[in-house]
Amino acid sequence: MLVQLKVNGELRSADVPPETTLLKMLREHLGLTGAKLGCDVGDCGTCTVIVDGQSVNSCLMLAAKASGRDITTIEGLANSADLHPLQKSFEELGALQCGFCGPGMLISAKNLLDKNPEPTVPEIRDALSGNLCRCTGYTKIIEAIQDAGRAMSSAGA
Amino acid sequence: MATTVKDVKKGAKNLTTDKDLTAPAVKPLTLPKDNPVIYPLTLPESEARRQTPAVGQRASRPDGRLHGLGQTKYIDDLTFPHMIFAKVLRSEHAHARIISIDTSEAEAMPGVLATLTGKEIPVNSFGPTLQDQPVLADSVVRHRGDGVAAVAAVTEQIAADALEKIKVEYEVLPAVFDSLEALKDEIKVHPPHSNIYTSKVIKKGDVEKALAASDHVFHRQFRTQMVEHVPLEPHSSVALWDGNGRVTIYTSLGRITLGREDVARTLGMAQSKIRLVGTIVGGNFGGKNEITNEPILALLSKKTGRPVKCTFTRGDEFISSTIRHPFIMDYTSGVNKEGKILARKIRLVLDGGAYCSWTGTTIGKGSILAPGPYNIDNLLVEAYAVYTNKTTTGAMRGFGAPQVCFAYESQMDDIAEKLGMDPLEIRLRNAFSEGSSSPTSQVLQSVAVRESLIQASERFGWKEWTQ
Amino acid sequence: MIRRGKGMACMWYPIGFTVAANPSAATVKINTDGTATLLTGTVETGQGALTVLGQIAAETLGISTDDVHVVSADTDSTPMDTGAIASRTTYVTGNAIVRAAEVARQILFEAAAPLLDVKPEQLEARDRKIQVLGFPSKSISIGKVAQHSESVIGRPAIGSASYNPPTVAMDPQTGQGKPFNTYVYATQIAEVEVDDETGEVEVKKIVAVHDCGTPINPMLVEGQIQGGISMGVGFALQEEILFKDGKQINPNLTNYIMPTSLDMPEIEVELVDNYDPTGPFGAKGAGEPTAVPTAAAILNAIHNAVGVRITSLPATAEKVLAAINEQRAGEGKAA
Repeated sequence: MLVQLKVNGELRSADVPPETTLLKMLREHLGLTGAKLGCDVGDCGTCTVIVDGQSVNSCLMLAAKASGRDITTIEGLANSADLHPLQKSFEELGALQCGFCGPGMLISAKNLLDKNPEPTVPEIRDALSGNLCRCTGYTKIIEAIQDAGRAMSSAGA
Repeated sequence: MATTVKDVKKGAKNLTTDKDLTAPAVKPLTLPKDNPVIYPLTLPESEARRQTPAVGQRASRPDGRLHGLGQTKYIDDLTFPHMIFAKVLRSEHAHARIISIDTSEAEAMPGVLATLTGKEIPVNSFGPTLQDQPVLADSVVRHRGDGVAAVAAVTEQIAADALEKIKVEYEVLPAVFDSLEALKDEIKVHPPHSNIYTSKVIKKGDVEKALAASDHVFHRQFRTQMVEHVPLEPHSSVALWDGNGRVTIYTSLGRITLGREDVARTLGMAQSKIRLVGTIVGGNFGGKNEITNEPILALLSKKTGRPVKCTFTRGDEFISSTIRHPFIMDYTSGVNKEGKILARKIRLVLDGGAYCSWTGTTIGKGSILAPGPYNIDNLLVEAYAVYTNKTTTGAMRGFGAPQVCFAYESQMDDIAEKLGMDPLEIRLRNAFSEGSSSPTSQVLQSVAVRESLIQASERFGWKEWTQ
Repeated sequence: MIRRGKGMACMWYPIGFTVAANPSAATVKINTDGTATLLTGTVETGQGALTVLGQIAAETLGISTDDVHVVSADTDSTPMDTGAIASRTTYVTGNAIVRAAEVARQILFEAAAPLLDVKPEQLEARDRKIQVLGFPSKSISIGKVAQHSESVIGRPAIGSASYNPPTVAMDPQTGQGKPFNTYVYATQIAEVEVDDETGEVEVKKIVAVHDCGTPINPMLVEGQIQGGISMGVGFALQEEILFKDGKQINPNLTNYIMPTSLDMPEIEVELVDNYDPTGPFGAKGAGEPTAVPTAAAILNAIHNAVGVRITSLPATAEKVLAAINEQRAGEGKAA
C-alpha cells in the first residue's frame, strides 16, 4: 500500500506491505537509517521520532497510521546552515559513546526542550526514561541537555 | 565525430578568455531553500582537538559529530544491491540429541532461497580456548540458544516465517541447570568429558596454619546472578562474495583479526580470501568478542550468490549471545585483633554455561583478583568452572572481577564491624602499596589503591557523614 | 522509614590478557603537510578508542589530535589487533602506536638533521615542528621535513611496530607468576536510602576515584566511569536473567530490568594522579575497572543503612525486605 507522509519538511512516499512499521518504512524504504532497531517492541527507545509534535516509538506505529502526518527524525535536527544546539552540546561534552541510543535520545531531548526550555534535572530524567543507554550512565547526556537548553533560551530570548 | 586539434585549441581559447572564470570567485552562492545538504554548511571547530600537546586534552570525538547527525553507520544500517535476509532457528530444548532436521517445507516457500544446517559447515566448531561450540548444532543441542538451522529469504518476514516450517526431531536428554549439581558430574553436558572443564589454583604460604593462628575467622558464601550485556545494538553481520572467490563480512564483531581466523578455520578457507570489516560497534562489553553468525552468512551468501544480512532480535541477544558467569563464592578470612588479614581461603564455582567461550580468561582473572588488593601472606584460591545446560557464559565487563569484588569487599566490612573498626581504616591497614606482593607473588608497580581510598573518602566526606 | 547508609569498595584490575600473548600492531604514515594517518586493527566500540589512539599518535609526532586521521577495523588494510577487550586498548595498542610513530618520526629526524646542522639525536617533535632540543628556535615545520624526506631524499616517513605486554607464566600447581604487566586501582563510595518498609533501595550518590595512569582524554575516562557505574547499579539492584526449567523467562527489555535515566545516582568523579612508566605517556586503562566496585559499595551501604548483609545479587526490594524482617524477628526472639 502507498503511504505518504512529511518527513523533516519533505513530502515522501513509499509502497509498503500493510504490516510495515513506521520504523521499517523510514529505515528500509526512505533511506533514513538514523532511527534504530534495538528491540522492535517499544522498550528501548532507539526508534524514537517525533510525529505531529509528540515523541513516539516508531517501531510501535504502523506506517499506515503515520500516513499524512508530520515526522521529524534525527536527520532533520540540523538545518542547512547550522547544527542544532543539542547536537553541538552533545558533541562538545562527549555525551554519546557508541551512539546507538543517540538519535532516539536527541529526539526525546528536542521534544522536551521544545516544550520546556529550561527543564530541571528530574524533568530531564523523566523525559529520557524511555530511552535506554548502556554506555554512558546518562550523566553527560543530562548535562548536555541542560547546556543546550540554556543556549536555546539565551538565543531565543 | 572525432575531436580535431583545431577544435581543442578553439575550446581552450574560449576557456582562458571566459570572464567569469578569470575573476576571483567571490560571488556569493544563493542555494535554493530546498537544497538538500548532508551536513550543515558551518560546522563548529573543536579547540581541544587543535591543541598541542595532544595528551590530556578533552578532545571531542569525530564520531560524536556523526552520532549527533544520525550519520553513523552501524552494520544493520548497511544495504547492498540484491541483499537478502537470514534468520536462525534456535533449539527447543535445553539438552537434546538431534535426530533429524527437515528443511524441505521451508525451502518450498516462495521467497526462500536457501537453508543451511550444521552438517554443511566444513569445520563446525569454534571457541577462543576450547573449540567446543558448534556454529550450528548438528548432533546435540546443549542450551536453548543453540542454533540448529538457518534460512535465507528475500525479506526478513519470509525468513522468520520459514523458520516455523523447519521440522527438527529431538530426543530430549536429561539436563543439569545448577552449578553445584553439575559439579557432581552425574549428568554430563559434553560427555565423555567431565563437567568441570577448567580449574585454577593459587597458593601462597600456609593458609590452614594461619587460619588456626588467627584471632577471628570469618566465613560467608556469596552468589551472583546471570546478567546480559544488553548492548543497544543487536549483533549484526552482512556477508558477500566477489567474482574472485573472496568473501567480505561486515560485522559488529569487536575482534576482527580473531574473527577472520575463525571464519577461515570454520570454512576451510585461506585468510587472504577473507575480509572482515567493522564500522563502529554499538556497545560490546564483551559480548561481541567471538563469531556468531559470520560463517553461516558466508555460506548462505555463497549458496545464493547474493549478499546476506542477519541481525539478532532482542530475544536472540538474551538467549543466544553470551552472558556473565554466575559465581558461587566461599570466602574464609582469618584476621588478628589489630585487623590485619593473616589468611584468606576462597572457593569459586563458576557457572560455565553450555560452552567454554571466555571461561578460561574469567576463571584466571577471577582467581587472581579474588583475594582483593590486600597484602595477604597465606592464600588459597580454588576455582572450578562447570558446564550447565544454560546460556553460554562468556566475557562480560570485568571477567569475574565484579563478582569477587562484591565478595571480598562485603567481607571487609563484616571484619570491620566485628572489630569495631572503620571500613576505611581496615582497608588502609591491609591495602597494597608500591612494591607489594600480589597473590601470584608479582611485585606490583604503579600501585594507587591507598591513594584512591583516601581521595575518595575525602571527596565523599566519609568521616563527617552522618545518618 | 527511610534509612540512609554509606558504603565503600576498593578494587584492583589488570590490563591485558592473563599471561597469554595479546599483541597489537600499528602503522603511522606522515603526510607531506605534517598531518598523519594512523592504521589500527582495533574496532571502535563506543569507548572512544580511536580518539584516544589518535591523541597518542599526535603526541608522539608533536602534532594535534585533529591532524591525525585514524583508519581502523578492516582486515584488508589495517594491521592485526587482539581487540578491544580486557581494557587493553589504550595500553597495548597505545604502546604499539607510540613505537610505530617513533619509527616514522626517526625518518623525519634523519631528514631534518642535516638541514638544521645537528645530529638526529638532538631533535624533538613539538608544536608541529622538528626543533633542536634546548634551542627550539632552530626548527623546521614537520610538513616541510616530511616533504623533503619523501620527495628530495626519497624516504617516505612511515613506521610500523607492535607491542605485547611482558608476562611470566603461572605455575600450574600454585598459580605463582606474573600474569599482567600492570594493574589499575579504584575506590567507589555509595550513599543509599533504604525504605525499611518496602526494601527499596535508592542510590543517591556515588563518588568514584579511579587510577588510570595518565588520562589521555579525561572527558572519555569520565564517560567510562559513569557508564561503568550504571552497569554496577544494575548488577547490584536490578538485573537478573530469570531461568526456569531450562528456559529464560524474561528474554526482553520489558522484564529484564536495567538502569534508566531515573535510576542513576549523582556521580562525582576524580582521577588519582598517577603515571605508569610502562604505559603510553604513563597511561594504563579504564574500560572494565569502572564497573567493578560499584555493586560492592552499594551492598555495603545497604548494610550500613539497615544492618542486613545481602549475600546474593541482585539486592531486590523483596530480598532486602525479607532480610530486614528476618533480622527483626531474630531481634524479637532475642528480646
